[in-house]
Amino acid sequence: MNARTVAAWSAACLFIVLFTTNPAYKLIVLLAAFTTLAASAGIRRMRRLLVGVACIGIVDVVLNFVSAHLGRTILFSLPDSIPALGGVYTLEALASGLSGAITIAAAIFAAAPFSLMLQPHDVMDALPRALSRTGTAIAASMNLVSMVGTTFTEVTEAQRLRGWRPRGPASWAEVVVPVVLTSAEGSIQLAESMEARGFGSATRTTFQRPKLGNGDWLVIAASSLAAAGFVAASAMGWASDWYAYPSLSAPRIGLAPLAACLLLFVPVLMWPRRA
Amino acid sequence: MAAARLIQLTYWYPNSAVPALSEVSLDFSEGITLVAGPSGGGKSTLLRVLNGLVPHFHGGRISGRADVAGADIIRTPTRNLARTVGFVFQDPELQAVYDVVEREVAFGLENIGVPAAAMRDRVDEALGEAGVMHLARRRVRTLSGGERQRVAIASVLAMQPRLVVLDEPTSQLDDEGASLVISSAIRMAQAGHSVVISEHRLERLTQVAENVVVVDRGTAEVRQPSAWRPIRLTMDATIGRSPGAEAWSLSGVTAGPGGRPVLQDVNLAGRRGELVALSGPNGGGKTTLLRVIAGSLEPLAGKVERRPGRIAYLPQNPTALLHRPTVRSEVRLTLDRAREPDDPDQMLATLGLLAMAERYPRDLSSGERQRAALAAVLPGRPDLVLLDEPTRGMDPFARGALIKVVAALRDAGSAIVLATHDAELRDALADRVVTVCGGMVTEQPAMRT
Repeated sequence: MNARTVAAWSAACLFIVLFTTNPAYKLIVLLAAFTTLAASAGIRRMRRLLVGVACIGIVDVVLNFVSAHLGRTILFSLPDSIPALGGVYTLEALASGLSGAITIAAAIFAAAPFSLMLQPHDVMDALPRALSRTGTAIAASMNLVSMVGTTFTEVTEAQRLRGWRPRGPASWAEVVVPVVLTSAEGSIQLAESMEARGFGSATRTTFQRPKLGNGDWLVIAASSLAAAGFVAASAMGWASDWYAYPSLSAPRIGLAPLAACLLLFVPVLMWPRRA
Repeated sequence: MAAARLIQLTYWYPNSAVPALSEVSLDFSEGITLVAGPSGGGKSTLLRVLNGLVPHFHGGRISGRADVAGADIIRTPTRNLARTVGFVFQDPELQAVYDVVEREVAFGLENIGVPAAAMRDRVDEALGEAGVMHLARRRVRTLSGGERQRVAIASVLAMQPRLVVLDEPTSQLDDEGASLVISSAIRMAQAGHSVVISEHRLERLTQVAENVVVVDRGTAEVRQPSAWRPIRLTMDATIGRSPGAEAWSLSGVTAGPGGRPVLQDVNLAGRRGELVALSGPNGGGKTTLLRVIAGSLEPLAGKVERRPGRIAYLPQNPTALLHRPTVRSEVRLTLDRAREPDDPDQMLATLGLLAMAERYPRDLSSGERQRAALAAVLPGRPDLVLLDEPTRGMDPFARGALIKVVAALRDAGSAIVLATHDAELRDALADRVVTVCGGMVTEQPAMRT
């Protein structure tokens, strides 16, 4: 899988989801991104992401519902004397929150292939030469993220067996300090290793610059067409916007923008399932 | 002509009044130079001078002269010396940048701007020279410690350095992995590289080394390999009494981290006053077995039983324990928690740490840290002692001291389980030897010296 292809598809998804206010199109982009991820990375690998997205979505809906006291369809109301929470609770605020949650979820799923389906070196290889050195440093530091988790488990176990028990926030210093220090030492050693192998000494070259295959070109073409088609449809007035306020209405769907969004499903057919 | 030359070199780490290296003058010739000496004596510092990590990466003050292949080390940044000096570090897990072997080997070539067309041949050549051509497409994280270390060697060989420096490259490896790494070092020398290697497993290397440099308290002295013999341990760890009642047992235990079984249907038990040594290759399940006995990893199936009492556990990574400002306070913390009245200095003296009792544990060398971690877990009278690779990076004196401490605990009635690749330690102390390999355990006869 080529990182440039993934970047093109992600960019198209993000563009449409941020360009339109219509939750119907956002929902289609969300479905395209979710289906692509599920087909390529697998639901099992997505579990943490799903939990995270669900939490963020719920928070967004609840926050909007309790804070935006706007709209004509009143579900219930609380006395104005209650600070922050007082006022009318409307169906429009709920729908607006839902639309926002769909936007966030679609954006996260659209960007997720970079972490779930690509390796750091895939991304580095796809970067322009000018960004290669920075990209390498970032990718190397990403390797340390998993080390922090492992170190945390090791330290907690070792300290428990030495008699440590969590008794309030101060007691956690005995775990946090060694975790932070051990992780920092790991990153220093990695930096030493990179320096010793000439990192930063000359303009970098690349062992394998990945080539774009027919499948990659097809995905790039479909993604570009999706974004361009959606803009054109909007310009023609076929992709109508949607607003929750002042009174709720069903979002309208046009055939041309719908077809543009459906092009984002092309990677489901083209991208291989990651082992 | 010498591959590297140090003349009257003195080096101080930042904020240190005592030099880590003092007026060192050495020539590193062709072939293998073996660097030996006690933990904390300055071996790693000396090796880091050769590619300029000292002083360019670590800072501090330096005086004297240092040249490698005609380049002034003190004035040339490490990254520019990378074409001349290759460096393999101690810990194979902390030096990989890429996740695929051939990409990892190509990393240095990319950094020095080798054209893509020339890289493939150099990567293949280096993989072949290090004996890991078959691993080219493997993911680094799936490799054993020995395989990773040979990939690290291939990574420096690809840059075709004149001098290759290896800093205790086998300290974390099993016998087979260590043997393969040492064979790679010998092949490098035969292929015309100058090789400088710091090691504690000296038997094979002393036979092929051109020179031995003994580094102790910051000074370096050259010895002829034929006239120099590494210190060998004379063990006196005779058992004082027969083992007592059963202290721990595993019945039909299947266990592994993250729900993936690493151990299968294990039945094993240990008694008070008995020492069980676990041996076997890296990744065989020794650490998992220790964690199950300690109770920090719940079995997926089967039953674990332990007599109540204090557990002293040394993890594979000793720095996981160390967080206090001084070595002495680490020992005191354990004694205070166990409500035992012992003097921390007793344990520090036994392990040769009294002189560094007030030092920050993380400022110590790797061998000294290992001793500090042992001092932090072993004081007092633990009922169950679990040690994961306790002699990692230790010199013979420190290993001798550890053997005394462990033997005393055993004779005082502690049940002891240690996982180790160290055959000398195993032979000196073990009442029973259990091989853990591929998730299965097999009991071997012990060979007490």
